[in-house]
Amino acid sequence: MSGISNDTEFRQALEGLDATRQRVVAAKFVEHVLDLADDERLAMVNRTAANSAAPDSELVAALSAARAATFDSHTRCGSEGDWSEQAGYFVARAAAAAVTPAGQLPGGSAWQAAMSCRMARTCRSIAQAAADNPAAEESAAQYRILSEFLDS
Amino acid sequence: MNGPSLERGINALREQVDAPVAAFFNSCVHCGMCAEACLFFTETRNPAFTPIHKLEPLRRIWKSEYTFMGKLASALGLGKKVDDELLAQWEPLVYDSCTMCGRCSMVCPVGNDITYMIRKVREGMAASGHAPSGLVSATKRAVTIGSPMGVKLPALQAQIRHAEEESGLKIPVDVEGADYLCTLSSMEIMNFPEYISAIARIFDHAGVSWTLASDGFEATNSGIQIGVSEIAAELVGRVVKAAEKLKVKAVISPECGHAYMAIRWEGPNLIGRPYGFKVLHILELLDELRKEGRLHLSGKEALRLTYHDPCQISRRGGVVEQPRRLINMVAEDFVEMPEAGTMNWCCGAGGGVSTNERADDLRLKVFNRKKIQLDAIQAEGMISACSNCRIHLEDGLEKYHMDIPVLSLTETIAAHLAEKAPAGVGAS
Repeated sequence: MSGISNDTEFRQALEGLDATRQRVVAAKFVEHVLDLADDERLAMVNRTAANSAAPDSELVAALSAARAATFDSHTRCGSEGDWSEQAGYFVARAAAAAVTPAGQLPGGSAWQAAMSCRMARTCRSIAQAAADNPAAEESAAQYRILSEFLDS
Repeated sequence: MNGPSLERGINALREQVDAPVAAFFNSCVHCGMCAEACLFFTETRNPAFTPIHKLEPLRRIWKSEYTFMGKLASALGLGKKVDDELLAQWEPLVYDSCTMCGRCSMVCPVGNDITYMIRKVREGMAASGHAPSGLVSATKRAVTIGSPMGVKLPALQAQIRHAEEESGLKIPVDVEGADYLCTLSSMEIMNFPEYISAIARIFDHAGVSWTLASDGFEATNSGIQIGVSEIAAELVGRVVKAAEKLKVKAVISPECGHAYMAIRWEGPNLIGRPYGFKVLHILELLDELRKEGRLHLSGKEALRLTYHDPCQISRRGGVVEQPRRLINMVAEDFVEMPEAGTMNWCCGAGGGVSTNERADDLRLKVFNRKKIQLDAIQAEGMISACSNCRIHLEDGLEKYHMDIPVLSLTETIAAHLAEKAPAGVGAS
């Protein structure tokens, strides 16, 4: 059992994965927060990301769809922010990170996807004025997801 | 504040006529060079978008009340009036098709600062009730909530908790005696919160003493954009009050163009006194750290990168060389866009244009100018230092089907910090 219990171990483990496995595990992180977004394109993107045999053409299309979803969901400068909708923006960013080609994102695509998923959870908690620390819970869930992935 | 009215608008315009304005109108030779400097004109060829033409309401007030011939014409009933119809007609010209980027002022052969006058025209437009609804709402939220996007302190605190978890560092808040007070834009708090962990990591690495302020974290200034100096002064005053309370040596403006313009260049005039502290853009501070040998970076970006100069930071703010020196630390293959630096073309979304939904089609149309610049150099990635530019650049690139990632310079620096930090930790 790969006992990942902190971000240092988490990040090291992610960096040890090749590009395809990074994408697949990133899709698992996104799956965990997918209910925070209501853009149907993201489920399609994530199915592609989760497919370790996805052809390049599908990945390109998925990235395009994820980016479009990201632009459509961001809060425009000066408009009133809705933190529930902002959670959807970060899910879209996580999905986009998952299908971004290797070498384009600092820390790797899986790390960026994980961070955006945590942000999505944080945004939802802001919307609900929750006093707990949902990002920490999301981190723990991601440690578990990665551990299981490495052991599978 | 009283409600807007035509009378208030005309009075506001009248108050804006000072010696520079009179000299500028007097010296305009109608050459049209400002038109070719404005991307709203070059990308549409609409003569109404000629910058000097956008000043017509102010010009009419100046002519009718401050020139002999104008006074005579008015006395004979021949003068051109400023009324609600005119102001309604000019509202899209003043707000939708001008980002106050300052490029027109750079090319005027007689030295007219047209941008300075656009800023003044907006005072009259806002006072008369002819300002875009999006900007009006943003300004109300900025005054009542403290953020044009409605970001409240608990939301910032949640983002801080996230940044602390991501960076493994304590984010200092309300630390009296810290050297630097960092301000943030609501865009960063909502759309790009990784900026917070980026500055935390850089400052920890470089041993910088810094803090955020719970009652003065918002850097943006809707008062500047809409054109209400009274509100602009109130918003600047909040940051000044926080800086003085915490006794910091300097206030750091974030990756936001107009925020820098507001606090650095307009601020002291707005509040009517000099600051007791310095104001720096985050890139100025990072460049100082570089110069002092306190930034130790490793690795470089392999992409062919270029830099988009945010107008208020480069052209109007003077921060031109600092970003380039910093980019050289992280870019293997850096290429300048044509007309980079002080003559760079605006992204098309500054000066409140991005807040104004009515202008969406126009701002994306004029993005064609940026596309031309990027096509000329075959850039594979673009760095910038303004959250508003960044989101609009992404939007424009998407619309024009250009696969070019847009990066924050501060975040890119943070991503390349060498593992081992020198001794010394922040104020926390």
